[in-house]
Amino acid sequence: MTLQEQIRSARLRTVMVLVLFVILMAAIVAAIYVAFGSGYGVIMGLVAVGYGIFGYIAAGSIVAAASGAHKITKDQAPELFLAVENAAIAAGLAKTPDVYIIEDPAPNAFAAGRTPEKAYVAATTGIIQLLDKRELEAVMAHEMAHVRNRDVRLMTLAAVMVGVISMIADMLLWSMIFSGGRNNNNNPIGAIIAIVAIILAPIGAALLQMSLSRRREYLADATAAELTGDPEGLARALYKLGADQRPLQKVNRATAHLWIESPLRDHHGMSTSLAGLFDTHPPLQERIDRLQEMGGFQLPPLPKGAAEA
Amino acid sequence: MNFLLIAVGVLILVVLLWLVLAYNSLVRLRNEAAQGESSIDIQLKRRADLIPNLVEAVKGYATHESATFEKVSNARAQALGAKTLGDKAAADGAMQSALGGLFAVAEAYPQLRAVEAFTKLQTELSDTEDKIAAARRYYNSVVQRFNTKQQTIPTSLIASAFGFSPREFYRLEDDAEREPVKVDIAR
Repeated sequence: MTLQEQIRSARLRTVMVLVLFVILMAAIVAAIYVAFGSGYGVIMGLVAVGYGIFGYIAAGSIVAAASGAHKITKDQAPELFLAVENAAIAAGLAKTPDVYIIEDPAPNAFAAGRTPEKAYVAATTGIIQLLDKRELEAVMAHEMAHVRNRDVRLMTLAAVMVGVISMIADMLLWSMIFSGGRNNNNNPIGAIIAIVAIILAPIGAALLQMSLSRRREYLADATAAELTGDPEGLARALYKLGADQRPLQKVNRATAHLWIESPLRDHHGMSTSLAGLFDTHPPLQERIDRLQEMGGFQLPPLPKGAAEA
Repeated sequence: MNFLLIAVGVLILVVLLWLVLAYNSLVRLRNEAAQGESSIDIQLKRRADLIPNLVEAVKGYATHESATFEKVSNARAQALGAKTLGDKAAADGAMQSALGGLFAVAEAYPQLRAVEAFTKLQTELSDTEDKIAAARRYYNSVVQRFNTKQQTIPTSLIASAFGFSPREFYRLEDDAEREPVKVDIAR
């Protein structure tokens, strides 16, 4: 696929995943209705909406603190700063985002902040050492692409939706346990459907969230290639990141989707297609392949084992 | 009969909605293009501001190269006086070739590279070149989307009605490869 085709396809797939999300929500609501009637559903809905709003607000600026990032000025890391500036100009952002550094030898980087005005990017000391100017600019362009595509907001929303769905499932489970046989007027088939929905809904929601995250990674790669006009620079950077096996010191699963490559290395050797469904990032080799396809160049394949990171 | 009325009403609503969305997207692209142009301007200005000091630094060593210096300061005057996008691009091209000449002169004086002020100016200039390139890429990609939208049906129908006109690309005449890289190579 060419660059423009990849961007279009990633956008389309995002919409498809979001539609699935909505269908899932509707299915849960229907299950509640069938099993418990409308009054119960309204209360549960209100609690869920309240939880969702709270979660969305609370998820604000915890990322930088959680990853141990601290803000820097231009003098402290000029090459990183220039890379961010150039990427921000290429992305047409009105202002250059703040730049943070994480003291960590593992090479990685992320962007956060819900709107382009409040966005900031963070890079580890490892990635500054590992990459040359061209590659660092490509990585920062990937981060700017996340900012411009409003991915942080989208993924926060997805995380909150998963939280809400899990919470509803929990509430349903407890209420079924406690109400036991009192709901005699319900039909047994409805109850069975409800139980199945309770079990499957959180898993399905998590799968959708991860799938969404992977789509947005592909999209950010393609957008970055468009911004820099240099898909090869990004592919080279990803190649170097793939060859490096050091795990990040401070990382938590909640923010994994923000990074340029997955900071989680805990599933080594079991990267089967099934485990891949729960990954926040597509395999690096696949991302490099797509960049090669749009740029018409060829890098050597990643060494075995590295590609699974 | 009633059903027909509702159908027509819905149709009109949909068309109105589309009209609003299409119009807004055209306005947004027009604003983005204007913002892109001003971001090119900022970087061109920044480069022009670096020139006098750069020339001074080189002049201190290369005294017999007045033709080169003149070319650079002419290019600077041209850049500062440029009003239209085409003029700016022409001045940009002139500046690049003039600076190329200046650095070729500087090459001949190795002592220059030991001067911190000169090397600092050089890095700043090359950073500005990077930023001009980035701003140009953004501007051209926005203009491409803007123009395509005005030329394709159905947006083309409202584009002319509301007085939108295609924008000029920021092109350097001397070399074609500086155009936004078209990554269109099918395998």
